[in-house]
Amino acid sequence: MSDDQAGPVASETAHRDRSLADQAADAVVALRDGDREPLAALVAELTPLLWHTVRAQGVAAHEAQDVVQGVWIALLREAGSIRDPMATLQWMLVTARRSAWRAVQRRRSDLTHTSSDERAMELVVTPTEDAPDATVLREERDRVLWDHVQTLPERCRALLRLVAMVDRPDYAVVSQSLGMPVGSIGPTRGRCLAKLRAALAADPAWGAR
Amino acid sequence: MTYDDTTGSLASLDGTDSAVLGRLAEVWARVDPVPADLVDRIGFSLTLDALHTEVAELRRVASAPAGVRADETSIEAETITFTTDVLTVMITVHAEGDVVRLDGWVTPAGRLSVELHQAGTVTSTDSDDEGRFVLEDLVRGPSRLVMRRAEEPGVPVVTPMVEL
Repeated sequence: MSDDQAGPVASETAHRDRSLADQAADAVVALRDGDREPLAALVAELTPLLWHTVRAQGVAAHEAQDVVQGVWIALLREAGSIRDPMATLQWMLVTARRSAWRAVQRRRSDLTHTSSDERAMELVVTPTEDAPDATVLREERDRVLWDHVQTLPERCRALLRLVAMVDRPDYAVVSQSLGMPVGSIGPTRGRCLAKLRAALAADPAWGAR
Repeated sequence: MTYDDTTGSLASLDGTDSAVLGRLAEVWARVDPVPADLVDRIGFSLTLDALHTEVAELRRVASAPAGVRADETSIEAETITFTTDVLTVMITVHAEGDVVRLDGWVTPAGRLSVELHQAGTVTSTDSDDEGRFVLEDLVRGPSRLVMRRAEEPGVPVVTPMVEL
């Protein structure tokens, strides 16, 4: 999309010729034939979405790397048993969410066992979503946008975070992986976006360019 | 299929929505960037994994700074423990200038072959009867240990990639 208002598009969000779901399906089909090239390309394309899926669950950065790595290794091992290759992307996103959930549970139980550890205290008091430091969001509009996003319900934040990472053909899969049924994703996404847009519209700092 | 609803709602997604979503993606990429080497590490893991389809995946138990503090001398040390159903390995990483020394201790104690896989290179050693091993003069970078037990040499135990 060449929307001027969007500004420069970060490399993570480059628009694709083909949906991630299609690319993931191709990679699995090729993998079964012993061809690993499409998988290598998919790793570069899909890892950012997996990263944000895992991080949105509150997994610490160093652990999120292990979790994302684990999803790929699981795909390699399960490629033969995925019945419908078109379901690969959905399978990976669900696997990522489940692993992230388990990582968070483990961390909680580890903390209760090692609460005397100084580091444990540090982890307890560290919020899952750190406030970005001022140098990260230099532009006023970015800070305004970030602040308004923080006021949205958690479900909306997670949905918009992931939907922003993909193109339209993948919206449905992304939403389903968050447990939002296909039938309701349009309205849900619409409501979340509408809330954000209303908040932005009412903020003079956003309107001023 | 039930995509009609999706298509219907997509039609209502206008230019401003796209602009907001595009900007959101940028903001999130800056606030919580994907680690620069993550894609490479994964590619490397998958290559390694393809060689052994039956690997036990270890999980990182704890990672805490240990020993001498980095700001006091040039020596840094970090201890990481990985565990599976079949074995536990604790490694301590000492940075000595440009190179790294790795001290490992495997339980249950016993001899096993230990390989450290880094991009393009493999450094090998064997643990002693107490399960201890040392790997010296290692370069920094993403690394993983592959350990083979005498009783099941075909089923190596592999750690997740860690940064030395």
